Amino acid sequence: MKKLVEIRDVCKVYNPGENEVRALDHVSLIIGEGEFVAIIGQSGSGKSTLMNMLGCLDTPTSGKYFLHGQDVSHMTDDEQSDVRNREIGFIFQGFNLIPSLTALENVELPLIYRGVGKKERDKLSKKALASVGLANRMDHKPSEMSGGQQQRVAIARAIAQAPPILLADEPTGNLDSGSSKEIINIIKRLYREGRTVIIITHDPGIARQARRIITISDGRIVSDIMNPDYQQSS
Amino acid sequence: MYIEYIKSAISSIRNNKGRSFLTMLGIIIGISAVLTVLIIGDGMKATVNGEMDSIGATTISVSLDTTKTEKTFSKEELDIIESNISDIMGISPELQFGGYFVAGQKEYDAFVTGSTPAPELSGSVTMEHGRFLTKADVDDGKGVIVLSQSAANIIFGYEDAVGRTVTLDSYGEETELTVIGIRKDNSMDTAYASYGDEPTLMASIPYTTMADAYGFSLDEFVDSFSIYLDSEDKDKVLAQTRAVVENVTGLRGENAVKVSSGYGFDQTTDTILSIITAVVAIIAAISLLVGGIGVMNIMTVSVTERTREIGIRKSLGARTSSILTQFLAEASILTFTGGIIGIILGLTLSYTICTLIDFEFVVNPLLVAVVVVISTSIGLFFGIYPARRAARLDPIEALRTE
Repeated sequence: MKKLVEIRDVCKVYNPGENEVRALDHVSLIIGEGEFVAIIGQSGSGKSTLMNMLGCLDTPTSGKYFLHGQDVSHMTDDEQSDVRNREIGFIFQGFNLIPSLTALENVELPLIYRGVGKKERDKLSKKALASVGLANRMDHKPSEMSGGQQQRVAIARAIAQAPPILLADEPTGNLDSGSSKEIINIIKRLYREGRTVIIITHDPGIARQARRIITISDGRIVSDIMNPDYQQSS
Repeated sequence: MYIEYIKSAISSIRNNKGRSFLTMLGIIIGISAVLTVLIIGDGMKATVNGEMDSIGATTISVSLDTTKTEKTFSKEELDIIESNISDIMGISPELQFGGYFVAGQKEYDAFVTGSTPAPELSGSVTMEHGRFLTKADVDDGKGVIVLSQSAANIIFGYEDAVGRTVTLDSYGEETELTVIGIRKDNSMDTAYASYGDEPTLMASIPYTTMADAYGFSLDEFVDSFSIYLDSEDKDKVLAQTRAVVENVTGLRGENAVKVSSGYGFDQTTDTILSIITAVVAIIAAISLLVGGIGVMNIMTVSVTERTREIGIRKSLGARTSSILTQFLAEASILTFTGGIIGIILGLTLSYTICTLIDFEFVVNPLLVAVVVVISTSIGLFFGIYPARRAARLDPIEALRTE
């Protein structure tokens, strides 16, 4: 298994000095290609900081982060933007769709920033929307869709340009149980199709769906196990 | 890729129609005010210049630079110059001297112009009674005089004084002159004649007669003259004047002949009108500045409202420059559109006003182009601050806002 994510001895310290907060405290972690990982922790455990770090939204105070073998720990804002665009598909708890744009236009955004031409963009976006079952909702605005549908648009946006990593932050946090199940099934399918999936959650029920479960507490990894209950079929 | 940013800017303007219009309103008012003022200013210039021409400012003055030559114009030279320049009504040295008019027991301050038939031929002098000077009067140095209306009234108590005589006292020398005509007062005549207890009376006599009366030799005295134009072809006459004068006087190549168009009225009034226009335009431009600040204000609000959207875009890979471009495009499109509407409004307004007050309606296409550029630049300039704020947002912070 090739190393996709490699975090070496990373610390993230806020307010260095007297009231310093150690959000990440000497964390090391390797995630290989094609893994399905859940990172679980209570609020304040440092899991959001870890997610920002993994998503190249934040840089470590110390330590190194290699993504696809490239050191991404100390990049400029624009370099980080390029890495996010190329490597990471985000799925957020609050969907984070742009309300003034249609489903199709939302899915097109990362392709626009990558510089993909209009025709190709259209093709890729429609394919992604079809794969989450929204072929007939492409011209709808987020306000005209249910939460589950909005999250499916967000997933389409995350996979449209086929990034190696899907990074999902509490993807079912704002959804009812029916929609949650639907979203988890889509994520599982994407994993089976060969994508690397990382889910950040506080919900053990969601974490149990993953192949590997990493528990974080007080900024440290306290356990990292292969899930004994993982069911290939469900 | 930039097309996408412009598209997204347009769609965000569309999504906030009411607010976008109010923002544009500032620019519309500013642009139309500036344009209206400038167009009316141009119309005023064109109209005033037209009137100046019609009241006889269509003269060209020629003089010799006394620091470079001691030469003067003799009467023969003036006659040759006159006949060699085409398309003119004539030339006149327009010598001006003070003195006194004596009539009966009374004495009046006088201001006499030594002239030729040219001023009347060109229409800058209009006769009320009798006739103006003729070529024969000038050639023979006849003792004749043309009084202004007000001068005739003051001396004789009535206007039609043709045939009467008046004595010109040129500081000692007395010359008896016969009144051959009364010319209509111009503004200068009226102004001097009504100057309190000691009015100054205006009159014209042949410049040859003037030389006799004041005791100077014509050949040594005249160093300038005015050309009275026939047509509007001032440029054509200007073009040949210098060559003719240099040829006749033998001053070729000495750079001693000065030719200037008009009495300087054209330039002076132009300058004054331009200053007036500029002052009013500056006042109008202040409203444009206020409009620009309005754009900055709204863009700042828009950035604050759309912080989360900016965060989303950044998380999806938007670079600083992409966000900057998007917001700058939004501001410029607002002001560009406002500028276009402002131009249409300004043209309509200035056309209406020019028509109402009888000014010429002159539109300089360059002016319109400059106004379009200015309105777009206002968007860029006032959009930079909010756009930079948007572009520099931290994606984590931005995603956290509601």
